[in-house]
Amino acid sequence: MSAQAGPGTYSPAAAAGDRRRERKEELRRHLAEDADWPRADGRSFHDCRPAFMQTGPTTAASGSAYAEFGKTKVIVSVFGPRESKKAMMYSDVGRLNCNVSYTTFATPVRGQGADNKEYSSMLHKALEGAVMLHTFPKTTVDVFALVLESGGSDLPIIISCASLALADAGIMMYDLVTSVSVSCFRKNIIIDPTSDEEAWQDGSLVVAFMPARKEITQLTLTGEWSDGRITNAVELCMDACSKLGDILRDRLKDTATLTCE
Amino acid sequence: MELRRPASSPLVDNYVVPGDVVLDLSEMNNQTIKLGAGLRQECDTIQATSAGKLRQLKPNKYWIENSQKRYIPSVEDTVLGIVVDTKPDNFLVDIKGPNLAFLPVLSFEGGTRRNIPKFEIGTLIYARVVKANSIMNPELSCMDATGKAAEFGQLKDGYMFDTSTGMSRMLLSSPTCPVLEVLGKKLSFEIAVGLNGRVWVNAPAASTVILVSNAIMRSESLSGIKQRAMVENLLERLS
Repeated sequence: MSAQAGPGTYSPAAAAGDRRRERKEELRRHLAEDADWPRADGRSFHDCRPAFMQTGPTTAASGSAYAEFGKTKVIVSVFGPRESKKAMMYSDVGRLNCNVSYTTFATPVRGQGADNKEYSSMLHKALEGAVMLHTFPKTTVDVFALVLESGGSDLPIIISCASLALADAGIMMYDLVTSVSVSCFRKNIIIDPTSDEEAWQDGSLVVAFMPARKEITQLTLTGEWSDGRITNAVELCMDACSKLGDILRDRLKDTATLTCE
Repeated sequence: MELRRPASSPLVDNYVVPGDVVLDLSEMNNQTIKLGAGLRQECDTIQATSAGKLRQLKPNKYWIENSQKRYIPSVEDTVLGIVVDTKPDNFLVDIKGPNLAFLPVLSFEGGTRRNIPKFEIGTLIYARVVKANSIMNPELSCMDATGKAAEFGQLKDGYMFDTSTGMSRMLLSSPTCPVLEVLGKKLSFEIAVGLNGRVWVNAPAASTVILVSNAIMRSESLSGIKQRAMVENLLERLS
């Protein structure tokens, strides 16, 4: 029997789908006009979403962190350092094992998050430059990231949250790692895009950055960019990463203060 | 005459995170600085590599003290370990570290090939770390420096629970931590604290064991005054 909604029945999924379609249509119209447009959440092009971060949500893990940027919600758990499996070859430096997974309900379309299989290796690349692997030879640190809700700019939030979780676990690091992404729409560059904006972007740039050392650990560029715009976008990302770094530092210090009171 | 400023950081006793510059060496001259856990030198600066409180032991020792769920073995630490396997020459002991620790069968008072102790898997042992470096498994001993058993060895009965390494340091700190001070005045119990974040409690009455364990577990995030109030509240309920 088909579960079709009657004439007087309200279907939340259908209503949400209609709203999403309207937003996409509006965005497409603005892009066609090639003019500045108001973003769906009222931000300007160079504004990030409001951020909430917290350490220690997972009690069983050595360290953990939860991050919420707008609609994107991520939880990261760090286990270890623990003995590497016997099958692995001896190593003078430690191993960093990263895994990114999505809940089935993370995206509007069920199971759509499985498309981002390369996120695990990208997270590893972003973090391995900051973690002092030589301080735990023969052992492995496992980083498990779970995206609870995907609202755009997932990878940068995963990287920042993982960095916070590693610091919470007491893993030796050269510096915290923060990450921000920008999208390019013809002549406009917008920071911290939502999933709707990511769907229409001409190109994207993700920068993972160590704020205290002023070093980039990873830079991923996709789509069409001109040289001048790349420079502007990288500077914009680095500036945002520095500010996010201050938030991460304050978060760690606040947690410590609360624990001591 | 050259003015010599003592090596001191404004961040001492403050919380630092990885990347923070805790000391600028360019402002100092001919001074020896000893760096402990969580700090490293980079050019003319000393930087933090882990999150925690920066501590200084006058005049020139610096380290970062943090509270973790995992334990990094250090020589002369007293730890509570659980036997996970037995080999002809060693017991393999879990001390919550990156690797299992070795406890040689001869590292007991009067230990010879004739009287090797027999520990079953799951036995709780109070031991001392005698060797610890990152590329080898740590080595334990159930003797003090003079070869006497002292308080080391198997812990029978009682109840063991896990805390953070910071909490176990607090319990072992001097002067006595408020929780143990208040509990010790009212109740009679035995306690063994390992720097690896394990605590063993034993008492004649089960209710005492439960009360002491709960008091210690609850006290982790409380200040001294709040700890006293919490323990007194628990004791009132018991009486």
